Amino acid sequence: MTDYGHDLLFGSFITPTNQDIEGVLELTRVSEAAGLDLATFQDHPYQAAFLDTWTLLSYLASRTDRIRLAGNVINLPLRQPAVLARAVASLDLLSGGRIELGLGAGGFWDPIVAMGGERLSAGESVRALAEGIEIIRGIWDADNHTRLVVDGSFHRVDGAKRGPAPAHDVGIWLGALKPRMLRLIGRSADGWLPSLGYLKGLQQIAESNMIIDDAALAAGREPAAIRRLLNINGQLSAQPSDRLLVGPPRQWAEQLAALALEYGVSAFILAGDDRDTLALFGQEIAPATRELVAAER
Amino acid sequence: MDYGQPLSFGATISPRNGARAAGDPLAPVVLAQRAERAGLDLVTVADHPYQPDFHETWTLLSWIAGSTDRIRIAPNVLNVPMRLPTVVARAAASLDLLSDGRLELGLGAGHYWEAMSAMGIKRLESAESVAALAEAIEILRDLWDTSKPGPLHFAGTYHRASGAERGPAPAHRIQIWIGAAGPRMLDLIGRVGDGWVLPGGTAGLARLADGNRRIDRAAVAAGRDPREIRRVLNLTGSFAPSSAVSSAVSSEMLSGPFALERFDGPPTQWVEQLVPLIVDGGISTVLLSGDDPAAIDVFAAEVVPAVREAVAVERAARGTTVRVVPPLRVRAARRDGIDYDGVPATLADDAVEPGDVRYGAVRSNYLRGGSPGLVLRPRTAEEIADAVTWARTQPVPLSVRSAGHGISGRSTNDGGIVIDVGHLRRIEVLDQASRRVRIEPGARWGEVAAALRPHGWALSSGDSGGVGVGGLATAGGVGFLGRAHGLTIDHVRAVELVLADGTAVRATEDENADLFWGMRGAGFALGIVTAFEFEVDQVGDVGFGQLTFDVSEDLPGFLVRWGAAVEASPRDTTSFLTMGPPRAGKTVAHTMNVVDSDDPDTVIERLQRLADIAPLAGQQALILPYDTLVSAPPRGGHQAAGEPVSRSGLLEHVTPEFAAAADRLLRSGTTYFFQIRALGGATTDVEPEATAFAHRSAQFSVVAMGASHDRIDPVWDAMRHHFSGLYLSFETDQRPERLLEAFPPATLARLRELKRRYDPDNVFRDNFPLASGVPDGAIGKATGRVS
Repeated sequence: MTDYGHDLLFGSFITPTNQDIEGVLELTRVSEAAGLDLATFQDHPYQAAFLDTWTLLSYLASRTDRIRLAGNVINLPLRQPAVLARAVASLDLLSGGRIELGLGAGGFWDPIVAMGGERLSAGESVRALAEGIEIIRGIWDADNHTRLVVDGSFHRVDGAKRGPAPAHDVGIWLGALKPRMLRLIGRSADGWLPSLGYLKGLQQIAESNMIIDDAALAAGREPAAIRRLLNINGQLSAQPSDRLLVGPPRQWAEQLAALALEYGVSAFILAGDDRDTLALFGQEIAPATRELVAAER
Repeated sequence: MDYGQPLSFGATISPRNGARAAGDPLAPVVLAQRAERAGLDLVTVADHPYQPDFHETWTLLSWIAGSTDRIRIAPNVLNVPMRLPTVVARAAASLDLLSDGRLELGLGAGHYWEAMSAMGIKRLESAESVAALAEAIEILRDLWDTSKPGPLHFAGTYHRASGAERGPAPAHRIQIWIGAAGPRMLDLIGRVGDGWVLPGGTAGLARLADGNRRIDRAAVAAGRDPREIRRVLNLTGSFAPSSAVSSAVSSEMLSGPFALERFDGPPTQWVEQLVPLIVDGGISTVLLSGDDPAAIDVFAAEVVPAVREAVAVERAARGTTVRVVPPLRVRAARRDGIDYDGVPATLADDAVEPGDVRYGAVRSNYLRGGSPGLVLRPRTAEEIADAVTWARTQPVPLSVRSAGHGISGRSTNDGGIVIDVGHLRRIEVLDQASRRVRIEPGARWGEVAAALRPHGWALSSGDSGGVGVGGLATAGGVGFLGRAHGLTIDHVRAVELVLADGTAVRATEDENADLFWGMRGAGFALGIVTAFEFEVDQVGDVGFGQLTFDVSEDLPGFLVRWGAAVEASPRDTTSFLTMGPPRAGKTVAHTMNVVDSDDPDTVIERLQRLADIAPLAGQQALILPYDTLVSAPPRGGHQAAGEPVSRSGLLEHVTPEFAAAADRLLRSGTTYFFQIRALGGATTDVEPEATAFAHRSAQFSVVAMGASHDRIDPVWDAMRHHFSGLYLSFETDQRPERLLEAFPPATLARLRELKRRYDPDNVFRDNFPLASGVPDGAIGKATGRVS
């Protein structure tokens, strides 16, 4: 059981529906007003009921002041990595360093292919993601004067100009569940961003942390360099329960603090699109969790 | 050569990110905002994703959209080969939706292939790149078109899609402008483009005349009108007080390549140079490059107005018609009888016609499929007046829509015009003490309820938050708080409306009192409301009980007991009963009961009276804010097909005879939805002659929906003698006798008098036809059903 010692982040996971755009803007405003650190949005470009996530992030960044924004997670198979790198750097510069890069290898291959993307096997998609990350980091590395060449099997650059560098060290957080992806995180990413609903239990966090940590150490990195984030769902109720995140705010805070201290999770991103719950999450649950964690640390 | 396009002027801004020069990354945004403040129409941004000194253009444009309000935006031009066309389609539609329809799309086939291929893009030969762009444009337009059936399959040489979901449709018909120099690209513009972006500077002007000819030839060969295609000029220059080199354009110069130097000189000289480019050269959009804020101001303040004026004079002198010629694919889908070119300029931009990408979302309403020839979407009361004044001259059906949720489905038609007031949706408290609230007709009741909740107020409407304010608040409003607080129209204190002749009037008890009377119950026939003022009620949390009964044993007896229990309930209680036909021998009655009280004991007591009448099959009781009962679904448009079939009756009491008839109706299999809503209580406080909704003694409103009039009418007509009238918003039968059931003779006579005065030409004839000009026997034939 590890606590990697990161400051805690609290965020929202907002559905980017194009059927209720005012609602999306409102949930983002609520997130910022509630003091949340992050507003994040899933990216499924093949889903016609959603807004294009990158367009939405850029638009929202111009209409917020403080909150950080991220895709959760950006679908690399339908985005050109070198162009994505510049887009991220641009938005980070425009927003004064408020952008993080949640990134995924792709999972829904039928609709990806329907949109004109390439079908990749699971293993190929991990390799493609690794190549993509190398390109993205290469573009961001503006002060490096060597020629940027990534001769990958899926993505290539050959002499692309480097730059611009983002305004801050943009974190690359990977949505991942399986060992190959976890090892890639250990080698080359800045964060692990799974969804609680897809995990088989908390034990899977502990096991995955070990895989990430081992891969990090093998690559000469500190495991603590990698933030562990978690997409969560929950239900606020007056009555406490023995279920995870079903109960009053105090119970949530205690359970989140335990996740931070015992499982190393340092960012909690709440789904559900409910403005009242988000407000309470930012105004009460986040400070209470921080207090509990600070006291224990 | 002048294509008669309306002029637009803008600024082209370079997307410098300032990263290497320690500049301000927001500098391009500041310039865009400056262009907006200066009054320019458009800001465009070049796109060179391989250039590290530049922002990625889509990101920057999206940011600019978020930090401006009015100015249109466009990439100039988007490097298509570096992006997947399917994703570009989604991104463009998204940005258009987010910016409220402010995006146009300049596209390019790619130019700097060296830099592009260094970024990992497959290098294409020139001819290939044109073909690839043509494919991409086809994908964009097809993916936006949600009125086409099924997903998109496209097997091109360069791009493909295999079952991509269509949508979202953009907020408006996005124009696709193409940056082009070579003949193949010019031919492509002629075939499919909405605009030609000339190469920058003098090089572009040198190609103007030849390029126009080439484009026009290709357009005509494709059956298009060259006036569909906008010609867009990017120019650079300075307003140096003394111009060193400059020459005015003469018409002779237009026959050959333009020999213009840069635009250097005072504004007057720019004007002299620009006017011939427009009236002889066919340019209709002029974009100033150079990133110089002072130049943007001078351009907007001194050049643009003078050019507009001079061009207007010249066009008038030459008899040039100024108008937007929509693309062939749109014109081909037009309906007969509508003068599309005559749509008032204020409405033309936002109007939707059958070939438009937005048509799929506006053609139908909640229950009725429609195929209108034109949907006008005014944004202000003045624009509603423009719409009415123009629409009345068109010999086609005219419908009016607030949110398109009406049961009778009158808000669409086949081949006619729809005036959709959905853009007018503000809700504003006028006076806290008297609870006076101003609400525009396009707001929906869920939005109204949510806006009133923080004040501890509510306004009874119906049972659905998706219903629009305009239709319901001019007809009646039989809602969840009806017995406690009356009909919705009983809360109207003032209406502002546009009459059939386009005049705006205000009607209250004191001002145009007769009109005010008619607007409450028959407003659809007298004008289009642009705003209501309501006196709303103090309503805290309410009790909401759902009681389900198994009534298989004795449905008639149950109905009688329910009716009696409802009538005996205090007026804080309103009950709605809903049933379907018996299934597998079992008949279930579902009731929704709203108690205007947040006191649990009161709520339980009220529900208990209603629960005691029969064995319960299910129950749930909650105390909740009123607005959660009528929350509005997202505004996604309606997708109904076919015709609704709904019959309405107003009932004094649930008598054993009526109950037996209702039992027969339910068993006949002709209705799939049968509902009785409680009236009574406060709805009976208003005198019958006080409003045009006269049936004040009714204690219940009954509705039955079926699959066809042929089947349900014989059964329903046999029940008619039980009813004292009908509620026209729930009635789809258009036989003339329905009119007399909707309005008792005295009310009808008064309404016809109003109709003669305010709408003598029967402009508002889409709903129940008061038709003062025709004899009684012919009433109802003025509007046919949409087939």
